[in-house]
Amino acid sequence: MASALHTTDLRFVYGDRVAVDGVSFAIAPGEVLGLLGPNGAGKSTTIKMLIGLLRPQAGSIEILGMAMPQQRTAIQSRIGVVFEEKNLYPTLTGRENLAFFARLFGRSDVDLDHLLERVGLATRGRDRVSDYSKGMRQRLTVARALLNRPDVLFLDEPTDGLDPVSARSIRTLIREEAERGVAVLLTTHDMYEADELSDRVAFIDEGRILALEAPEQLKLRHGQRAVRVRYREDGQVKEVAIPLDVAAGGELQALMGREDLLTIHTEEATLEDVFVELAGRRLE
Amino acid sequence: MSLARTWSILRKDLRLGPRSPVVLWALIVPIVLTVLIRGVFGGLFADQPSLGIVDEGSSAIVAAADHLDGVDVRVLPTAGDVEVEVTDGRLDAGLVLPAGFDEAVRTGERPALGLWLSGESLPVDRSVLTVAVLDLVREVAGDEARASVEVVDVGEAGLPIDLRLVPLLVLYAVAIPGGMVPASSLVEEKEHGTLQALLTSPASVGEVLLAKGAFGVLLGMIAGLVTLTLNDAFGVAPLAVVLAVALGAVMMAELGLMLGSWSRDTNTLFAAWKAVGIIIFLPAVFFVWPDLPTWPAYLMPAYYFLQPAYAVGVEGAGLADVGVELAIGFGICLLLLPPVAAMGRWLQVRLAAGRLPAGDADDQPPSTTVG
Repeated sequence: MASALHTTDLRFVYGDRVAVDGVSFAIAPGEVLGLLGPNGAGKSTTIKMLIGLLRPQAGSIEILGMAMPQQRTAIQSRIGVVFEEKNLYPTLTGRENLAFFARLFGRSDVDLDHLLERVGLATRGRDRVSDYSKGMRQRLTVARALLNRPDVLFLDEPTDGLDPVSARSIRTLIREEAERGVAVLLTTHDMYEADELSDRVAFIDEGRILALEAPEQLKLRHGQRAVRVRYREDGQVKEVAIPLDVAAGGELQALMGREDLLTIHTEEATLEDVFVELAGRRLE
Repeated sequence: MSLARTWSILRKDLRLGPRSPVVLWALIVPIVLTVLIRGVFGGLFADQPSLGIVDEGSSAIVAAADHLDGVDVRVLPTAGDVEVEVTDGRLDAGLVLPAGFDEAVRTGERPALGLWLSGESLPVDRSVLTVAVLDLVREVAGDEARASVEVVDVGEAGLPIDLRLVPLLVLYAVAIPGGMVPASSLVEEKEHGTLQALLTSPASVGEVLLAKGAFGVLLGMIAGLVTLTLNDAFGVAPLAVVLAVALGAVMMAELGLMLGSWSRDTNTLFAAWKAVGIIIFLPAVFFVWPDLPTWPAYLMPAYYFLQPAYAVGVEGAGLADVGVELAIGFGICLLLLPPVAAMGRWLQVRLAAGRLPAGDADDQPPSTTVG
């Protein structure tokens, strides 16, 4: 299947500091790619190049068969962007905000009521954005990103700082859009969210992609699976983790046979563990 | 460049305008200042003397009265009407011209002519109207003036202070809505992060700047023309005045766009505006105190719309008299376009640098942005 987005050897340098260094990846239609990395890793610079705010100093970007930035306007009319900051007009109502951007996209016919309903703001569309909570504003920015029925979505920390209900509704929307065939590039600090939503995950650090695979593959390849057993001995609770690859066999069977066995859990590596192993430091 | 997108952004700004304290302040202050100055120095509420005429025949005086300078003339159907209007104080004076009056004057009959004066009219208006009526009658009789009167101005030379303040009021009215409003609107877009959202839609920096500039020009022209109307300063060539105000509004909008592109936040913008304001407002000083040497004003861009507006609106000059100044003003507007475009590109560079947490590699000035 042809990719919706394809980058090759992207590079960008701020002064003498390399922000993005040879980044290449592709996203297929309907795929969610999680771009994970600590602050300053090059995520934002990469996204800025992809959405047309920065011109790459080297490398190429192809989105929906068009070259960025050469065909910037045509590409921008077919993408949706959710920024981390809630960049809306506070003195306009939610509906007015959407209507304004709909006109910019040449989509004055879009059903704003339906869109507001999708993000759970049907009853608040005529209220000023200044009266919205943080979660409502974020849901409105998601609605804005969807009003041109984009083929590619760029989501920068879409659930950062949101209450669990708002975060869940936004994750549901992301899944729905991916099922519709939209290619999604997601950056997030929330490893569980990345794990839950992403078909593949790219770890980026110091401007380079360290690994790019499905979360399960990454965890299998770089993490460690284990069985964690808790039991009582000499009146004290003890805990032991037995790596599955060492196996189980004797030690695990011996523990299973104990009468004072308390709990048995399987555990696997998290994406955070994978990043630590790859980069030698934690995601912050 | 899409005019449809530019219009969408302008429409949004027009809709936001009445909700913005800066826009309201920019539009209201010049009007309040005009009312204050005209109220203090006279002129705003002082009506012209009014004269009602009833013509029972077909006197040439009616047509001649219509051309009287500084007198408000109304023609009424009957003597009874004019009497009521004068008695009630709605007219300062009333004149009833009997049938055959002009012929009687021309044959030297010295016919009687009734002129009713309102008891509520000002003495100065009564004198003006009496002299004006006598002058009209002399004109009909075909009499030459018996003497030529030489008018000598005494006291302070030049125009009264309320007229000399007109350029300052007009400059304020054009500069604040024309320059400050687009600058402030642009800075607000940056502060709210909406500029980034605009520039990742199909809208370009050029379209955003054009819309903001048009917003400033529109408001600057409205405020400038309202101020001129309140000051009764359109002269004999209103088109020239409108042209001068339009040039001024464009000039100020260009300046505002540059300041707005440069300023990081509202505080920076206000500081920059104060610094630049000295250069903008300096030309008005030379109109308030005309004895000062005027050559420094020639170095200020605002002079080239202020001088034509003043010359035409206050001093009675025609379009041809101010053609050179208007041409220079137009040239300045053209010359400011490349710096505005350059500032637009710089704005995008700043925007791309982002507002990321300190220490983030992304928060560094980029060397290249998409144009």
